[in-house]
Amino acid sequence: MATPVPVRLEAPLASFQPDRAIEQRRVGRAYHLRGRAARLALIPAVVIMAFCFYGSMFWTVYISLTRSFLLPVYKFAGTAQYVRLFATPRWQVAYSNMFIFGFLDIIGTLGLGILLAILLDRSVRFEGIFRTVLLYPLSISFIVTGLTWQWILSPTIGVQQLVRSFGWTDFHFNWITQPETAIYTLVFAGIWHQSGLIMAIMLAGLRGVDREIWRAARVEGIPAWRTYVSIVLPMLRPLVVTCLVLVAIAVVKSYDLVVAMTNGGPGFASDLPGKFVVDFEFERANIGQASAAATVMLGSVLAIVAPYLYYELARKNR
Amino acid sequence: MTTAQWRDRVGRTGLYTLIAWMCLFFSIPLLVVIATSFKTSAEVRTFSIFTLPASPNIASWIKAWAHACTGLKCGGIRVGFWNSVRILIPSVILSVSAGAVTGYALSHWRVRGANIIMLLLLLCAFIPYQVILYPLVKMESAVAIYGSLAGIIAVHVVFGLPVMSLLFRNFYVGLPEELVKAARIDGAGFWRIFALVILPLSVNILIVATILQTTGIWNDYLLGLIFAGRDNMPMTVQLNALSTTSTGEIEYNVNTAAALLTALPPLLIYFFSGRYFVRGITAGAVKG
Amino acid sequence: MSAVFVSDLSKSFGSLRVLRDIHLPIESGDFTVLLGPSGCGKSTLLNAIAGLEDIESGIIEIDGADVTHREPSKRGIAMVFQSYALYPTMSVHKNLSFGLRVRSVPRQEIARRVEWAAKLLQIDELLDRKPSQLSGGQRQRVAIGRALVQKAKVFLLDEPLSNLDAKLRTEMRVELKRLHQELGVTIIYVTHDQIEAMTLATRIAVMRAGHIEQYATPDDLYEEPATLFVAGFVGSPSMNFLRGRMVAGDRPSIAVGNVRLPLNGYRFRSSAAPGQEVILGIRPEHVVVANYGIQDGVFDAETVFMEPMGADTLGWFQCGEHRVSARLVPQAARGLSGRVRLSLLADHVSLFDPSSGLRL
Repeated sequence: MATPVPVRLEAPLASFQPDRAIEQRRVGRAYHLRGRAARLALIPAVVIMAFCFYGSMFWTVYISLTRSFLLPVYKFAGTAQYVRLFATPRWQVAYSNMFIFGFLDIIGTLGLGILLAILLDRSVRFEGIFRTVLLYPLSISFIVTGLTWQWILSPTIGVQQLVRSFGWTDFHFNWITQPETAIYTLVFAGIWHQSGLIMAIMLAGLRGVDREIWRAARVEGIPAWRTYVSIVLPMLRPLVVTCLVLVAIAVVKSYDLVVAMTNGGPGFASDLPGKFVVDFEFERANIGQASAAATVMLGSVLAIVAPYLYYELARKNR
Repeated sequence: MTTAQWRDRVGRTGLYTLIAWMCLFFSIPLLVVIATSFKTSAEVRTFSIFTLPASPNIASWIKAWAHACTGLKCGGIRVGFWNSVRILIPSVILSVSAGAVTGYALSHWRVRGANIIMLLLLLCAFIPYQVILYPLVKMESAVAIYGSLAGIIAVHVVFGLPVMSLLFRNFYVGLPEELVKAARIDGAGFWRIFALVILPLSVNILIVATILQTTGIWNDYLLGLIFAGRDNMPMTVQLNALSTTSTGEIEYNVNTAAALLTALPPLLIYFFSGRYFVRGITAGAVKG
Repeated sequence: MSAVFVSDLSKSFGSLRVLRDIHLPIESGDFTVLLGPSGCGKSTLLNAIAGLEDIESGIIEIDGADVTHREPSKRGIAMVFQSYALYPTMSVHKNLSFGLRVRSVPRQEIARRVEWAAKLLQIDELLDRKPSQLSGGQRQRVAIGRALVQKAKVFLLDEPLSNLDAKLRTEMRVELKRLHQELGVTIIYVTHDQIEAMTLATRIAVMRAGHIEQYATPDDLYEEPATLFVAGFVGSPSMNFLRGRMVAGDRPSIAVGNVRLPLNGYRFRSSAAPGQEVILGIRPEHVVVANYGIQDGVFDAETVFMEPMGADTLGWFQCGEHRVSARLVPQAARGLSGRVRLSLLADHVSLFDPSSGLRL
């Protein structure tokens, strides 16, 4: 699974950035010579970005607009691939699954993460131990996570079997084997895996809140829960937005989790775009469709990231 | 005790109870997997995985490590373990180094377009792998490293670069400028300043970056599956193959043991370096 | 409007004793200042009175009621913090009204109070702005306004002016004094700035190392300091201290070096035996360059240097082992150099025991 993206973490009041431009200009000619070394050092990064990331990206988008099938065919075909894609039942399931899974996963992860952060913010003792326990799932790969939850939710050896062994022989909990409900099982694993991350981020944010605001609220007789809801969490809104973006992007990228937990099954009932692309690219060897699907994924990510960056930029310039 | 103190005490107990329940929810999956790995095959099939082993034995661990079948071969998951190690070490060293140098170049040196580069890096960090997989495959085939150890290492370096660069850049921006300026006045150049001034101050961030990359690369599945080649399949891929072979009875005890073996390295790193781990995932301001 | 009564209050942080045996009877309508250097415990005491800190022993009464174990919001207090602690995501209007709304005060009453406070503090034009859009002084007023709308009996202010620049600080000092006189509320105010304390307070509690050294009016503190510390802390430029010894005789007098100083009008609080070592304190304005006529209690001194301070000049002289400062008229100071004779006005001296620091 990808390394998590480092996250913005600021105190609610903006931090001070010294202006280095004036000083830099003063260093003069000698500075410019050495500036060259820095530029040379940046070449590998720029090259990698240009070819591996942006070049590849544009290539994929371009291919999605051609008539490619097994091999790239550079004949323009407009939106033909997309029309075909969205007419494919498997893609329709995968694409709508992304929203179902995403919606529930985001709400669950953010909700639980914020709740845990608040709980840990209140208590003082054993915080280290609690945090260790709540955060460890993040160090486990999505494959192990997926397998573990597959076993737990399995009707034969998991929860259903456990409850039945207590005597309730009619108990049913076979969501993971039913087409209609398989996608929801992914939500359990997703929340379990990532709540700790949100908790850690939000806890750091809560800690950055000026303690005098807490005292002021206490003197005014505002109960703790109300302080969180009306004063502290609104102060941390940018941080919550960042968390939302992180989880949303993780949802779009999901591959390992689906493979390990349900392998898209039963059938393709729990398929997700991430898996669809890889399957069509390497198993089904249909590059045109895969590129179209990948471009839709890219579009989804941009639809999340662009407003987010705009929101952050607007906030900084206020 | 006054009413206020009593109410406070009740509130505190409720709080700790709630947190304890949460901890239980989070620990149960791991505990269940651990318990199951010590059971016998028959035990798992009869009862649920939630029971404790009747007579714990490590037979399944040995089988998982040395004899289990991952696809056609039956050499156990240790093959995957050593593959992952061989992939991990060069990848971490290279990606952390590349990130450090790039972050350094973007922080204390006025390069034209530095802001644009950072914005582009930021966008790269968000791009899903699936969007650029196929072109990367083609590129690697062109230079004949596709499906080899070099191939998978290259891919990890490529994907690690944006995040690592931004991580280091944000850390280095926080270092006092006077140090670099003083060194420049003394006549030191880009690389000497890096080696003598910057690196000694980078111990913390290097640890954080290493942990971040080690966890990410060890736990990777997709990239290993596509780029590593049949001889270098990482442990995660082997694990999935092992767990989904449907020939005969499913040996959950072996599968859980294999899963634990796969999860162990990053888990141990996490337990021993919790502080750095947390800093890694929450640290760094991402420039917007 | 009510009295605040603190008695036998003690507080520790772990093994560190932060407040010891605090006894503070505050009259209704008083403007009491807790004054002292950093670390003396003044903020801790304020927080203890507010109920934000627990105490180990002691009683706190507000308006006759024992509030020692009550939550801050149930003590009838309002507080203004050093960093103002305004709620950043709320408008000024909401900042003022939020606490009242949570307490289910009727909406009309809330509107009335907010309007009254806004007009009183001249922030009625800022009601729709957010704290980040206000200047330091404006935020300060909103913080005070938020305290005012609570209609509390006692107002606690924790170094509210320390984050303002000098000019604003003097303006706000006048504002606070005006508010106090208009509203007649009881105020407890913490500061380390003695000028602020002297100008604002009706009574000052000078604190050191967790203990109140003296609780008195500014005049009393200045003219009859109860301890060596208070004598040196209050008043700028600070008091001169000279080591001396009580002299036997029918009239009490003190010997400093080989100069004898009669202490006729001095009101002794406790007896001082002849031969006892004492410390004599005298303020620079009570040190005069002597006329040649007076023989008793005149010191020979060597001029060290002059500090012109505008309205008058502070002259520094070396008398034996002591360095003494004297307030001089600038014209007279200009002519002074070399050896001079200094006379101490005996009516204004303070005597202290060197070991206990207490006034004799």
